[in-house]
Amino acid sequence: MKVLVIEDDLDTADYIAGGLKEHGHVVDRTASGRDGLFLAADGSYDVMVVDRMLPGVDGLTLVKSLRGAAVRTPVLFLTTLGGIDDRVEGLEAGGDDYLVKPFAFTELLARLNALARRPPLTEIETVLKVADLEMDLVRRSVARAGRRIDLQPREFRLLEYLMRHAGQVVTRTMLLEQVWEFQFDPRTNIVETHVSRLRAKVDRDFDAELIHTVRGAGYCLRAPA
Amino acid sequence: MVNFVDEQLYEAVEEEAQMLVEWAEAEGLGALAARLRALEENSPDSPTSYLLLDPDGRVLAGELASIHPREGWFEFAEPDDYDHDPMLGLGTPIAGGSFLVVAQASEDQRELREAVIWAFAWATGVSLALAVLGGLATSAAFLRRLEGFNRTAARIVDGRLGERVPTRGTDDEFDRLATNLNAMLDRIQALMESMRQVSSDVAHDLKTPLAHLRQHLETARRNARHVAAYEDAVDRALAESDEILATFGALLRIAQIEAGTRRAGFAHVDLSALFETIAEAYSAVAEDNGQTLVARVAPGIGMRGDRELLTQMLANLVENAIRHTPRGSAIELSLVSRLDHPAGIVADNGPGIPQDARDKVFRRFFRLETSRTTPGNGLGLSLVAAVAELHGIGVELADAAPGLVVTLRFPS
Repeated sequence: MKVLVIEDDLDTADYIAGGLKEHGHVVDRTASGRDGLFLAADGSYDVMVVDRMLPGVDGLTLVKSLRGAAVRTPVLFLTTLGGIDDRVEGLEAGGDDYLVKPFAFTELLARLNALARRPPLTEIETVLKVADLEMDLVRRSVARAGRRIDLQPREFRLLEYLMRHAGQVVTRTMLLEQVWEFQFDPRTNIVETHVSRLRAKVDRDFDAELIHTVRGAGYCLRAPA
Repeated sequence: MVNFVDEQLYEAVEEEAQMLVEWAEAEGLGALAARLRALEENSPDSPTSYLLLDPDGRVLAGELASIHPREGWFEFAEPDDYDHDPMLGLGTPIAGGSFLVVAQASEDQRELREAVIWAFAWATGVSLALAVLGGLATSAAFLRRLEGFNRTAARIVDGRLGERVPTRGTDDEFDRLATNLNAMLDRIQALMESMRQVSSDVAHDLKTPLAHLRQHLETARRNARHVAAYEDAVDRALAESDEILATFGALLRIAQIEAGTRRAGFAHVDLSALFETIAEAYSAVAEDNGQTLVARVAPGIGMRGDRELLTQMLANLVENAIRHTPRGSAIELSLVSRLDHPAGIVADNGPGIPQDARDKVFRRFFRLETSRTTPGNGLGLSLVAAVAELHGIGVELADAAPGLVVTLRFPS
């Protein structure tokens, strides 16, 4: 992944860039909004991390300008502002995701991966397939090794999200936001409970385990190696 | 008006002259002379005087003997009467060579004119005086009211937040302004109170976990010998930091909600769908916890509000029920449409909340003695209270005997 990090706080920028490089990604970084705008303008990055509060050009304006110039690089906003409206503002300005500081690096990485690997808009999938697990999006049915699996609506949605991000780490927060549309952190383990139920239906009676728990990060649905 | 008075005089003289001339041309000069003499004898004080001259210039009748008659309008003073106003005379020739002068004293007219002018002057003067006095009185009253406002504002700026602008109950513009200002001041005071509470909460209940964090790190530094021990200490420090950050976040969110600015973004929220989502999300969790969660949700119930906040409010209540009741408890979630307003109910048959604590539980950081050891920061119900307040939802706690019933009264 080729990542552009626009962040004026040195500690945070080091933290992000360092972590990303450790995972084998290419990172360009700048502390200036104006330089960032210039660098991003040719759209060659897979994903961008933009701090909302930048000296000079502020993050929202920067992304608005990029979108106005038809630069489609996915943008993840970073901010200390965790206000209820701030997230909506960021998304309305053209951002694709929003992360409040401080955050766990695994959270950032999982979200960047998810953003960078969006399928091109021209494809319309009707069937998702991972190993011998098949999901028919039109008929809303799931089968593994030919055997039909009955899922509750929420379980279906959860599995769909995992399958669309097959091979990627998906965090608890991402699941809460996308599958349940909860913008808060519940103090009980909703996600864990539902994932274990899904596992019982999808994995238990079959040979290979598809749904994995990634310790300290989240979950990952992937075909056995 | 003044010109009208003069005009009247002119008209009167002209009319009389004309009438006399016509009469003379009809009846003859002699008759006119006789008539004029009769007029003068019978009404000596009349303001009108005459002079009739024959074609040779001899006086036939009239007192105005000593004047120089002229044709047309002219003014003259009576010879022996210089104190009075000039007379207005009109000289008219009569067919046959005679000449008639009709004159009238303009004193009456002048006096009338003067009286009218005076009357106007008086009226204007008195009106002006009254207007000025009235204006002074009104502005004095206004200024006094304003002074009252200013003094209250000065006292508030000084720090006496409880002061309010005096109202007189007269429902005039000033009173309405005063009422609005007072409402504004109530709001400001509430916000400041909220801010003050946040500061004191931060001081008290956040320093404790931060202190714990510091102690653990210090102990690890002192005692840990292996990497594994350090790793363990760091893991625990991370977990504690996350807890503290979550508490900060919750506090900030509650303060934001209490500030009430969210109301502008309200939209229609499908409460039935919301209750279903929560029921479905948490029933599995309850089950894993050895509890049962049963839901009864009436369809088609909605309200104006913030979906995210309402979701979190309901989630907090259900989570409380799950966390504070033992295994085997039954939890019930319902949304019913009552007579005038819909109601949401979260009920359990657990230990419940004792009567005397029911008011206090909504306060920030309040934990029941029995719950002190369970995880949580005591902010769950504070958030519920803040969201409910913002939306105009009534919250009631009652004894389920045994257990707790939380009733949410949604606006109709």
